[in-house]
Amino acid sequence: MVAPGAIGVAAFRAQLAEGRSGIAVIDRFDTAGLTAHKAALLRDFNPREFISPGKMRRMNNLSRSGLSAARLAVQDSGNAALDQSTGVAIGTSFGPVQTSVEYMEEYVAKGASLAPPQLFAESVANAPGSHIAIDLDLRGFNITITQRESSVLAAAMYAASQIVKGAAPAALIGGVEEVNEMLFSVIDRIGALAHGDDENSRPFDRRRNGMVIGEGGAMFIAGGSAPPQAYFSGFGIARDITASVSDWGTEHEAVVRAMRAAIDDAGIATADVDAVYASANSTVRADRLEARAINALFGAQIPVVAAKGIFGEYAAGGALQLAAAVLAIADQNLHPSVGFAERDEEIDIAVNGSLRKMALRHIVVNSVSAGGGIVSAVLSREPA
Amino acid sequence: MRRPDLQTRIAVTGAGIICAIGRNKEEVWRSIVESRSGIGQLTRFEGETFPTDKAAEVDEDLSDLVTMPRRDARRLSRTDLLAVIAASEAIAQANHGSRPLPLERAVVSTGTSTGGLLEGESFFFRRRQVGRRRARASQVLQQPTSGPSDAVARAFELGGGVVSNATACASGGAAIGMAGDYLRSGQADVAIAGGSDALCRLTYSGFNVLQAVDPAPCAPFSADRKGITLGEGAAYLVLERWDDAVARGATILAELSGYGASCDAHHATAPAEDGRGAQAAIRRALFEAGLSTVDYINAHGTGTPLNDSAETCAIISAVGSNVPVSSTKSYFGHTLGAAGGVEAVISVLALQNQLAPPTLRLRETSADCSLDYIPHTARPMAMDAVLSNTFGFGGSNVSLLFRRV
Repeated sequence: MVAPGAIGVAAFRAQLAEGRSGIAVIDRFDTAGLTAHKAALLRDFNPREFISPGKMRRMNNLSRSGLSAARLAVQDSGNAALDQSTGVAIGTSFGPVQTSVEYMEEYVAKGASLAPPQLFAESVANAPGSHIAIDLDLRGFNITITQRESSVLAAAMYAASQIVKGAAPAALIGGVEEVNEMLFSVIDRIGALAHGDDENSRPFDRRRNGMVIGEGGAMFIAGGSAPPQAYFSGFGIARDITASVSDWGTEHEAVVRAMRAAIDDAGIATADVDAVYASANSTVRADRLEARAINALFGAQIPVVAAKGIFGEYAAGGALQLAAAVLAIADQNLHPSVGFAERDEEIDIAVNGSLRKMALRHIVVNSVSAGGGIVSAVLSREPA
Repeated sequence: MRRPDLQTRIAVTGAGIICAIGRNKEEVWRSIVESRSGIGQLTRFEGETFPTDKAAEVDEDLSDLVTMPRRDARRLSRTDLLAVIAASEAIAQANHGSRPLPLERAVVSTGTSTGGLLEGESFFFRRRQVGRRRARASQVLQQPTSGPSDAVARAFELGGGVVSNATACASGGAAIGMAGDYLRSGQADVAIAGGSDALCRLTYSGFNVLQAVDPAPCAPFSADRKGITLGEGAAYLVLERWDDAVARGATILAELSGYGASCDAHHATAPAEDGRGAQAAIRRALFEAGLSTVDYINAHGTGTPLNDSAETCAIISAVGSNVPVSSTKSYFGHTLGAAGGVEAVISVLALQNQLAPPTLRLRETSADCSLDYIPHTARPMAMDAVLSNTFGFGGSNVSLLFRRV
């Protein structure tokens, strides 16, 4: 993991256990005049520890985060050899916005004929996946999913389908995102960011009023020879037809359908699910929608963890939410939901407050996207 | 976890397309038959100066082609609108004369490379002029590459899910391959799958600074080829499980019987010279279809010196030297993320019409391109199986295999 506040699995595990938020005041660009000033930012991340200077020069920040996370994943697997036909599936919600901005600035300054080709090569969303494939010599499928908040789980769903089909023996799966001035100020202008008071991410909390966006990434090795820490055992996909292109919709049944499809795909019963790692991103509407769905399918008692209070929203947050769920299965620990303190009367679910030991057979992981797209996964302790 | 079962047959029951040679299948196919190219002078981006000036453009004003309410259409990017136009044609065909598609169980899968970048550029310029507090942020709401899938899903009330991929120029092919697998595993009952991309300044400039653009209209596989011509467009297929399509009384246009995906793991923008990744994708698509060869290949054939020779190597290694190959990019340019969708529709039309499209402007075949590239005019021939190749930056390769019904 390359997380806001933790680099590598050990540090990430400690951060989750302590419930230490990665959210901080932005100091790398000017937020004056905006309603929000905070994001989940990478600190103390030095990609030179993972990537040679020559390669670094040819990479944007997304590629640096992605390749560093991939190297960390390989290390964590005990440097288990990866078959050459291993695939790569990466999610990113916005991809190389910053690279495109930098390209256009050069375009304005130097003219359309003299902008730097290197920036253009990095302006495609699949640049991180390409660098990972070249670095680790992975020649299987290589795909970059860009489905907003669902990007990472949709990438995992694709990779899993290819592995079980027999098209690849294993895959690197993950997500990357970058916080930059353009993205931040646009999301701020549409009123979607947490504002007022302390501007923190407060998933499911009564006081929540917007999301905090985050950066970094996480990569996982699925399949292959290393001992598994958890199993992907099912996926479900659905869409809320009431959603506009910029809203999550109002029909919680669609979220229920995605979760139920994932549970059916895993071949288990709803009662076999011991916890939900929620998509909740601290927006009024998305959190309420998901909470209603969780309550409708599982009742009010199932423990729910909202990881985006630490890592923020979008594909880094989605990948780190998935990483937290994997560690929950591996360690049989349920993590705290940072940012949640005050109950919302409209939200009748059991948001987990602190780290605790718990027998976890199966966890449902959700991603609920603006535009109405929903992808859910089931992570399991034992293979299906 | 349910496995995509290769025994489950996938039917193509609808196809829609818009590109420089036509606004629907009939217009596009007429252009193919008449060897009429859609490449001309670049008219977009007035006031900008680029080193080259050719493009395969779609009409600037799309309003007559969009059937959705004007208020909804205004919020969409050009890439979104192209997607909605093509998807509308595909869905209408799939519903024609049969019980309607169960759209509540339909997933949309789109590949796009630029998404709403064209509108993002306008926002960028506006913001430079008036500052970030006065530029309208709503202008870029559809900037993300999830835009076209979300727009199609919204326009047709699709309830099965949305997936977008931005895997450079392999995106549209990947979108179709992935959708086929979600039908095979039962994750969805219908898929609206394809690609969409509108011309924008960044890509027009970017391919120029990479020196990958031919100053003349592209001439794939030709000795004097110098690069691509940029195009724009969108295309979608409606895919269903064969038995569902039959039960619905749908007319089946073709079968999607193989999907192969691979990566060169070689270079950020250049293909492996021996075509190793392309070869792996072709072999996998053949394997899934249970075939050892095909009757015609709709090549990626961009017109860059490297692509066309590497792809030729890959084809020779995978299926030998006897399969006719052509590049329809000589008609509608390189439509980037849409290419896999556009060329999948062309492949289906070729199978239906038993007519292989030609490669235009193939004056003299290059020494490193030794296959039969069907020069100048379309060739009537018996075709049971057709392969469509799409490759992209980052070395991503996708091959789709379609069979005649």
